[in-house]
Amino acid sequence: MRHLEAYVGEYASGKSENAINRALSLADKGQPVSLVDLDLVEPFYTLRPLIKELEALGLDVVAWETKDTMGLGEAGCILKPEMRWVLKRPGHVILDVGYGVSGSNIFNLLEGFDTSELKILAVLNVARPMTSNVEDIIHYLTGFTRLDGLINNSHLGDETDLEIIRKGADIVTEVGNQLGIPVVATSVDERFRDVLGEKDHHGNPVRYLKRYMERAFW
Amino acid sequence: MAEKPIQEEKKVFMTGNEVIAWAALAAGADIMYGYPITPQNEIMHYWTRLAPKYGKKFLQTEDELSAGFTTLGGVLAGRKSFSATAGPGTTLFQEPLSMAEMMRIPAVVIIQQRGGPSTATVIYSQQEVNMVTYGGNGEGWRVVYSTATHQELYDYTIKSFNTAWKYRFPTFVLGDGYQAKMREPLVMYNPEDRGIEMVDPVASVGLPGIPGKDRSAVHLRNTYSVEEELYDATMPIQEDYDRMAKEVVEWDERNIDDADVVIISHGVVSRAAIAAMNRLRDKGIKVGYFRPITLRPFPDEQLRKVAEKCSNFVLVESALGQLARLVKAALFNMPIEKFDAVYKPGVGITAEELVERIENALK
Amino acid sequence: MAENLAMPKSWNVETKPHKFCPGCGHGLVLKVLGEVIDELGIQDRMVFGVDIGCSLLAWDFFNVDTVQTHHGRTNPVMVGIKRANPDLLPIAYMGDGGGYAIGSQHLVNSAFRNEKIMAIVVNNVNYGMTGGQMSPTTLPGQKTETSPYGRDPEETGNPTLGPEMVAAIASPGAYVARATVSNMKQLKRYMKKAVENLIAGNGFSFLEVISSCPTNWRTNAKQTWAFMEEDMAKYFKTGELRTPDESKEG
Repeated sequence: MRHLEAYVGEYASGKSENAINRALSLADKGQPVSLVDLDLVEPFYTLRPLIKELEALGLDVVAWETKDTMGLGEAGCILKPEMRWVLKRPGHVILDVGYGVSGSNIFNLLEGFDTSELKILAVLNVARPMTSNVEDIIHYLTGFTRLDGLINNSHLGDETDLEIIRKGADIVTEVGNQLGIPVVATSVDERFRDVLGEKDHHGNPVRYLKRYMERAFW
Repeated sequence: MAEKPIQEEKKVFMTGNEVIAWAALAAGADIMYGYPITPQNEIMHYWTRLAPKYGKKFLQTEDELSAGFTTLGGVLAGRKSFSATAGPGTTLFQEPLSMAEMMRIPAVVIIQQRGGPSTATVIYSQQEVNMVTYGGNGEGWRVVYSTATHQELYDYTIKSFNTAWKYRFPTFVLGDGYQAKMREPLVMYNPEDRGIEMVDPVASVGLPGIPGKDRSAVHLRNTYSVEEELYDATMPIQEDYDRMAKEVVEWDERNIDDADVVIISHGVVSRAAIAAMNRLRDKGIKVGYFRPITLRPFPDEQLRKVAEKCSNFVLVESALGQLARLVKAALFNMPIEKFDAVYKPGVGITAEELVERIENALK
Repeated sequence: MAENLAMPKSWNVETKPHKFCPGCGHGLVLKVLGEVIDELGIQDRMVFGVDIGCSLLAWDFFNVDTVQTHHGRTNPVMVGIKRANPDLLPIAYMGDGGGYAIGSQHLVNSAFRNEKIMAIVVNNVNYGMTGGQMSPTTLPGQKTETSPYGRDPEETGNPTLGPEMVAAIASPGAYVARATVSNMKQLKRYMKKAVENLIAGNGFSFLEVISSCPTNWRTNAKQTWAFMEEDMAKYFKTGELRTPDESKEG
């Protein structure tokens, strides 16, 4: 079965880290995976510094390269033409979608996005003030006409502790119950592997993240 | 209408631009005027998302000249007003800010430096130091806080409103594209809960009563007819600035007393400088560190005291000598053992390269 | 000439006689504005913004809170005030250089956004204070210090038609008119309607006033009047171009 997954979320929610790790876990099985940087707001910021490293790990990265961006001046809102057709590629496709108020309208830019194969997953960090409680998250998620899963990625960067992970799991699980959307995972830094195990205290599967994004400057 | 934007102290995880929007709310800012330019855009994005919830306002103007002058209008009307810009936008802001200096209009402007000159990059730089400290056709009557962390972005954005309204000089928070986009944890708080008294804004025009009957009319100008009249108008401003300077000047210094080398930096580069100092100290090399937090007014006396103890300096900045110019002016006429400079205009600086540089210099 | 010879109550008597040149139209425009301020009772809510150029001489003209700004930047300062405190009534006062050259982007965008302020452009077809240079409204063939052989439209374009431009982009609720100091009754009517539109908060209020600059025109009284009423009137038609109820005069 091929996986088409789009990771959406606020700035600093951890969607890029989740998308990268998911893409790499699929690539580990020896299958072709395209990782797409669909951040239209800051297209040159997100995956660009990591392209070479990720390609060496077996991913097909669809993102702007620095040399391609010359002359584009204001790092603006630019869709790389091949991104439009990316869902037509063979193999798994993992989309790292930038933030913005347009919500799931961004998928209108992709050919064939309405396929039932595509899973849109919202990455949530309750340490972000605009998504810090059940009410605010539900308000935030109303921007997405369609969501197939939630990921609790609550963290405080290097200062992450079990308390914030658990608090996130409580809140995100409650949001999932109220909206009828499954919680796909709690995702945490791999340094918690020995502490957390396979499932969080709500029974959501735990995905362990190796951090790549810190190697970008932001 | 929601209550206070921040109910209680809490640790959060955000990008720097978001931090500024939240800090402006916490500081009681009433209105933002802005024009899109990278890398400050998310300040506007988050302000416009948050503002209506708390009865705050926003105006998107036709350019940065207008963003600057409308901000001054907002201040004159007695509202805490602010704007944010970068690069070529900072250039255009010099005109309204010079009016703010002359007319003592306490505008707050956030600068997220990008590469220069000209359009250059939208990413990162420390090349707006000259312009932010001494831009405009004037004498640099402004306060400039150069931040290094998200916590500082929060703290100094709040502080900038108080400094501006207390002393009535335009006040800048000088960040950069890295700080704008980076994400890290910080603690958000209500300033009042920490005993920080917020200075209330005061209207300059539209005061109660009929002018000429109940009170005098307010007549504000920045034009003078003769040299003497201008001199009489400007000198008291300089005196006010000098008086204020002693109260607002801020700096950070570490490990100076036994230092053989002192690294000087400001803003986000200080993170690399401190990391380099710590690594070198671990290796037994006695490195100290000095950082101006206010670039205007500059901590001249504090730096001169450092130079009395150790004047083997390594200055590092993401510009071609803009911080160095301020530093050299502060050290004027002092004996200096050595002044090494690392200039990387528009490019980030890592702790590793500083460690290597200083180790090689000491060999 | 002015019907009412008495000084408007809103004038600041301590700064009179004012500093405008003999024969300058500014005094007449400010006389009419003063009368309208009095009649509509807005002295306590109005904020007067004056530009650089001869208009800055009005910085202490009224007993009205007044801000003198930078050249071309009076509109945005007034916009900033209005946005921050909608109870106030900001009126921006500038010349044709401030309005149509250095500040044109602010005028255009204030009109586009239908800002609830009023702007007055006093059009005397030259830069007066800087010594009589060509301005956006200088007439074809008119000699100025920077068009010493007469303005050549092939080189420098035709005179800016400010109200026509603003009217073309204004939104419903805007008031746009052109008056002249050579017809004080009409000027008074338009000034009052513009200020009433400001008070009502319907939309952007814009008034251009054809005015005189004998000092830089180097004209005597008779020549001044003839230039305004004949040469300038050929290009600049008085009348209302936009009104909030779309009933136009002129």
